[in-house]
Amino acid sequence: TCALWQLLFRVLSPLPAGNALASIALEVQARLVKSALCSQGYPRLALAQLPEDGSQGSRELLLALSWLLARGPVPEQMLAQTRVPLGDEMTVCQCEALASLGPPAPHMEAEGPVDVRHVQWLMGKLRFRWRQLVSSQQEQCALLSKLLRTLEHESRRLEAVLAWRRAEPVFWQWMDTVLGTCAPEAPAAASQPTFLPWVPECGDGELELVVRELQTLEEELREAVERRRVAWEAKARGCGRGPEWSAARRAFRETVEKELGALQRCWEQDSGPAPAHGPHRLVRREDGAAGDRDLQAAELIRTLRSQEACLEAVLRQLQGQCRQELARLAGALPGLIWIPPPGR
Amino acid sequence: MSIVTVQLGQCGNQIGFEVFDALLSDSHSSQGLCCKRENEAYQASCKERFFSEEENGVPIARAVLVDMEPKVISQTLSKAAQSGRWKYGQHACFCQKQGSGNNWAYGYSVHGPRHEESIMNLIRKEVEKCDSFSGFFIIMSMAGGTGSGIGAFVTQNLQDQYSNSLKMNQIIWPYGTGEVIVQNYNSILTLSHLYRSSDALLVHENDAVHKICAKLMNIKQISFSDINQVLAHQLGSVFQPTYSAESSFHYRRNPLGDLMEHLVPHPEFKMLSIRNVPHMSENSLAYSTFTWAGLLKHLRQMLISNAKMEEGIDWHVRPSLSGPSSLGKMSLNKDLHFNTSIANLVILRGKDVQSADVEGFKDPALYTSWLEPVNAFNVWKTQRAFSKYEKSAVLVSNSQFLVKPLDMIVGKAWNMFAS
Repeated sequence: TCALWQLLFRVLSPLPAGNALASIALEVQARLVKSALCSQGYPRLALAQLPEDGSQGSRELLLALSWLLARGPVPEQMLAQTRVPLGDEMTVCQCEALASLGPPAPHMEAEGPVDVRHVQWLMGKLRFRWRQLVSSQQEQCALLSKLLRTLEHESRRLEAVLAWRRAEPVFWQWMDTVLGTCAPEAPAAASQPTFLPWVPECGDGELELVVRELQTLEEELREAVERRRVAWEAKARGCGRGPEWSAARRAFRETVEKELGALQRCWEQDSGPAPAHGPHRLVRREDGAAGDRDLQAAELIRTLRSQEACLEAVLRQLQGQCRQELARLAGALPGLIWIPPPGR
Repeated sequence: MSIVTVQLGQCGNQIGFEVFDALLSDSHSSQGLCCKRENEAYQASCKERFFSEEENGVPIARAVLVDMEPKVISQTLSKAAQSGRWKYGQHACFCQKQGSGNNWAYGYSVHGPRHEESIMNLIRKEVEKCDSFSGFFIIMSMAGGTGSGIGAFVTQNLQDQYSNSLKMNQIIWPYGTGEVIVQNYNSILTLSHLYRSSDALLVHENDAVHKICAKLMNIKQISFSDINQVLAHQLGSVFQPTYSAESSFHYRRNPLGDLMEHLVPHPEFKMLSIRNVPHMSENSLAYSTFTWAGLLKHLRQMLISNAKMEEGIDWHVRPSLSGPSSLGKMSLNKDLHFNTSIANLVILRGKDVQSADVEGFKDPALYTSWLEPVNAFNVWKTQRAFSKYEKSAVLVSNSQFLVKPLDMIVGKAWNMFAS
């Protein structure tokens, strides 16, 4: 009976499983189960009258469990609660306008003698990058093994749910017999007001409220922007003139306009599907129906492959340039022995 | 990525405690001048780097404590536990009962090899706790026997066993009028060994920090704890989370690696200095305001004139105005005691940090002829304020600052040897 109380508690508890749950006393768990069942509209009174020490009532508890199982896909809900989020998610960013420029190209001396200390400096940087790469790979190994362990737990849970689904018909046949042995509940149960849980309805009323709040916010932001603009212009007026200043100002204005345009494009709903940005979950779907913000994996793969091809071409070009530069330097310093890296 | 700290000797252990304490207090500070989500990201980044988590939630410092005497370690452990906010691992320390008698050779050749296995085991356990490991801090003094001798030995071992991990030694440069007679021998032996096995030597000068306590913080009776707290403040302002250059939405994953790549890739120039503005007692702080222009101007002059703090700066020292001829520049600079830099990293934290103008540090006259300012100078800017200072700036510099002190130590050591 205790085990059944604990099982019901685990099913009804909104928290994901953790060590904290195990330490809650049986009586507390039982009381929580009773109140949760009551708020969900469980009709049988006999359960509410059960003692909380786990001494009797296993049949009532079994009936409560099967009531819950009949109402909704409990095992699947519990699986979703403890789903491992890694491994089936990827971040997508299609915003080209806001993409950063990447690291600045390394400053290359056009001509002239190269100080060997500068070369030593660059070698040192390369060495550090190499060591960081090794550290990153070690980190990746450690995290992968952690991920593997978590996934193993999850697959065990999935197998358990599958086993349950296979055995389910037997369970319901048995529960019919259990229900049959119960005495029918007194009709006085109907007089007790059942506390149905209040499900907040997201009707139009809510939506209107949200719309109004957003409009007020937009007003406030507009005022704030106006104030800032006035203050900035006052400040900018005092910043002096001169050709460099106006040229700089023009450049600033252009960059800002570009960024603003990109941001507006991101937010505009009617300019077609917004470029995807942020984490997406990988879901296998048979029917091919895609939601609003859903992306086809094949399409994404194609885009990523073409980007990869472009980047590889750029990499090969840069490597070629580096090799040429190294060859030139090797020729320029006859006293030095150069050992180039193994060609690929 | 996490950093494991090895605290060696009395100095190393006392300073180590102050560093962890300062880092955690700052990460929990409510005066960060940023939103709650930002603060949480900052806290999480700091915690992951320097602490590991236990079930009941008290962070455990990622540290190994080593000393040849039990007294300082037990004091350090209990001070941490008393704070209630963090602690050291239960089995993270190694001590003996003998001491090293300020004898470098005793630390390096006797204690080191004898206890090598135990010490390296402790370090390995701490490294294994890290999901992603970037490198080591080794905190040690140069003048004593334990910190210096065992420090050199341990660093060498770390080089062998963790060749891909980064190693930064936090070296305490002794007082010029220090009380250990053989401190100059110890210093030279330490530096020469460390130069081969360490990646970066971040030097903290006792004399400089002492002056900061006396002149800027107005502390009357300066204790080691005061000095160590200033030191910890300086380190914290470098290694607390900073934004990465590419995106201002994420804190940098590997500040130690980035710093080393910017400042010490050249194998012959590994020594770094650290200068921090402003420094003020808490009472005065309430009545002071700072501007970035003022702070950066002082910091730049401190760099050029090799001043250690923002008071008593020699404003006569200026970069030479002569042309790019390097020989001409060198002789002129020598006359003016101009401190030429190889590379500099400025880290700015606080209000309106984006408006701070660091152009003064990009002047080619500050740097050597073989490295242009675009490669030699880097700046990291973070909005979140550090440790009660609304604006703070720290400069980590690879420059000529230690030439004179080093000459002095070498000179004194030779004199003692030759006499």
